[in-house]
Amino acid sequence: MSESILEIRGLNKHFGPTYANRNIDFTLGRGEVHGLLGENGSGKSTLLSQIAGLYRCDSGEMSVNGEKYDPHSPLDANARGISMVMQELGVIGSLPAGVNVFLGRTGQFSKGGIVDLGEMNRAAAAVFEKWELPMPRLGRLTEGMSIEERKMIELARALSIDPEILLLDEVTQSLSLNNRNRLYELIAKFRDMGRSVIVITHDIEEMVQITDVITVLRDGEVVGRVNTKDTDPDKLRMMMVGRNISGDYYRDDNVPECDGETVLEVRGLSVPGELEDVSFDVHAGEILGFCGLSDAGIHSVGKAVFGLTGAAGTVHFLPTDAYIKSAPQALANHMGYVPKDRDNEALMIHANIRDNSVLPSVNELKGPLGLLAPGKVSSLADGIVKRFSVKTTGIRQPMDALSGGNKQKVNLGRWLAKDLRLLILDCPTRGVDVGVKAAIYSLMKEAKKTGIAVILISDELTEVLGMADRLLVMKDGRVTREIRRDEDFTEQAVIGVMI
Amino acid sequence: MKSRVKLSDLVPFIAFVVLFVFFSIGTKGKMLSSYSLKMLIEQSILTIISGCGVLFVVAQGSIDLTVGVNVALSGVVAMHVAHVTGQGWLMVPVALAVGLAMGLFNGFIVSKCHVPSFTLSIAMLIGVRGVVNFIQTKIGVEYVPQSMLFMTSSAFRIGAFFVIAIIMAYLFEFTKLGRYSRAIGENETTARFVGVPVDRMKIAVFALSGLMAGFGALFSMATVGGTTQTMGVFLEMKVAMGVFFGGVLVTGGSSAKFYKIILGALSITIIVYGLSLMGMSDSHISQSVEGGLLLVILFLTILANRKKTRLEVLHDGPHDVPKSPDAPQAPEAPQA
Repeated sequence: MSESILEIRGLNKHFGPTYANRNIDFTLGRGEVHGLLGENGSGKSTLLSQIAGLYRCDSGEMSVNGEKYDPHSPLDANARGISMVMQELGVIGSLPAGVNVFLGRTGQFSKGGIVDLGEMNRAAAAVFEKWELPMPRLGRLTEGMSIEERKMIELARALSIDPEILLLDEVTQSLSLNNRNRLYELIAKFRDMGRSVIVITHDIEEMVQITDVITVLRDGEVVGRVNTKDTDPDKLRMMMVGRNISGDYYRDDNVPECDGETVLEVRGLSVPGELEDVSFDVHAGEILGFCGLSDAGIHSVGKAVFGLTGAAGTVHFLPTDAYIKSAPQALANHMGYVPKDRDNEALMIHANIRDNSVLPSVNELKGPLGLLAPGKVSSLADGIVKRFSVKTTGIRQPMDALSGGNKQKVNLGRWLAKDLRLLILDCPTRGVDVGVKAAIYSLMKEAKKTGIAVILISDELTEVLGMADRLLVMKDGRVTREIRRDEDFTEQAVIGVMI
Repeated sequence: MKSRVKLSDLVPFIAFVVLFVFFSIGTKGKMLSSYSLKMLIEQSILTIISGCGVLFVVAQGSIDLTVGVNVALSGVVAMHVAHVTGQGWLMVPVALAVGLAMGLFNGFIVSKCHVPSFTLSIAMLIGVRGVVNFIQTKIGVEYVPQSMLFMTSSAFRIGAFFVIAIIMAYLFEFTKLGRYSRAIGENETTARFVGVPVDRMKIAVFALSGLMAGFGALFSMATVGGTTQTMGVFLEMKVAMGVFFGGVLVTGGSSAKFYKIILGALSITIIVYGLSLMGMSDSHISQSVEGGLLLVILFLTILANRKKTRLEVLHDGPHDVPKSPDAPQAPEAPQA
């Protein structure tokens, strides 16, 4: 292997009495793409944050290019050629895209105290062009943009310092296939330039595909370091969890189940600029998958079906013979919706588990005189915590104290606790580790068995192929092809249609 | 992180106790007489009654500063109708109807026309006060009709107060309206995505706030014995102070609790009443003390919130911890 650019010896970091990192030794080679793998809470993000200067280390040493490296802030890290794209930092919504690229560094475009926006936008555009990223409208505020566009802006921000080491924390999970490929190309280009990348991703197949070396963390400690070409996803999963879990992951049958009673009939669903004349049926006990590239409109389907966008066309819910026009109506008709953006669209992250759990079930819990008895409310939340084994100190714990996987368990569990007929899942495994992923897949199988119709919208093709009975491939807001599980149900076939 | 009481929730309690003790000593015990305690409750009633509707609005992250002018308008109109028709009892339904109508109007403008509640409040505050003044120059001050004089007995008012407060506390803490309102304050998008009828809930709470202003008008007239030129003046500020003094955050959400409006209103009344008992009759000084104290309490609440966050999120251990691999308090990682 080539010379090393970053050396870490005996790194420790604790938050109160809990250790996030213990005696981490880590070496990053020049021109190396290095993956960090581990379950939620295993200390991956903490390690990256320390390298990026967000957290000080309690003890241990780091060196870059053989010189001592002790960053006090992200700016120190930038000065040494290190920058990071964080999992949940995001951009500032009330500022335009171009300003977000140079956030904290707008001073360099200042002339006598006035920032030259034109020059800054030109510089930002240059960054997008240089790295071949899809450019957003730089003058537009970022608050109306999709997660994907925002992620690209963050990426441009990290690249704008022309880093030697790029740290990527769960970037691909927010991207659809075409932009993921762009990112892979960017990483390869980076490597060819002799620069280095550290990547965190929960998608093990992806990690095997793009990295050279993988370090596996468990409970804040390094449990192994392997060359990617000597390993495979199953071995990695075992290292990471410490036990074999590959057995019950995706479905293992090839039998589509599309003959149940029709639950939902969607006809001519259209949203200007997003969806055009989308029609489909969903049956009881069926998992209907949706996939497509970033502008294909798959996420709009979920919103429109749940009555959130005021779309043209009809959404006919057959069990109650209702035409769904609004979200409250969908809620009243045994439908559930798990949106893609968990922290901003699904959960009240500052409120506690109990308040979050009970929200979709308020109508069912109502007693005489509209009473929501505290006992009933608490036992519903307790039930969800127990049934879905949410790791928590209790139902009064605020949501933002939970890890991503446990948040998602509450998010999904509160719907499954209801008497549902239709469940819309938009990227349900985004940002959760394999353990929770496996749990979510088995919950989906269970839901299927009880006759719930599931609409599964996902950016991860393997997931849709692994779980769906039928797959609708979308392009530019239209459904372009339907594939059944017993037909040509392969990644190649689907990608062929998607692009 | 057990289910321990949060520091920020304690600030309003501590403030209340400190104020109570301070003024008890400052007035040489005069504040502890049964007469004074009764006065304290009576003087808090109007703020609490008009405030418990506003609490729903604040829980949603909006604000309703129209209660003062609403009390004046519904009171003046109701009393005039009672006098013109000669039917004293009519003042009750008319006051409630006018209050409710104004609340519905506010709710409609805020939810359907997307006017921020603060801006709307200011416009209404100025506009409606003008209408009230215009009416009052025509008809002057009117007194509670003979047939309704039972309202002016303090026993009746305190009794009615408790009934209304209990119903409102129930609505806020134990029903869908309260729960959905707090959810909207926590995150409006989330609420909408779960299927909460956000627009309808907004109209509902503004309507409720208006209805409670109607009750406020009745209480106000019952206390004074009729309408006055200064009816409801500054009431919206007293209510807002009560809500925030009690520890509800401007953003609403889970921080909104029913007991907080009671606590906040009592604290403010203690300041006003305590100062006058101490012989500080000049209302200007009393007002500046009120304002100053509100500032202190709000600062303490925010400080307590921030401290909590810092302890949880950014706990930064000492930088020069000895390089021992097994610090004594570190839990052993389970070996798989």
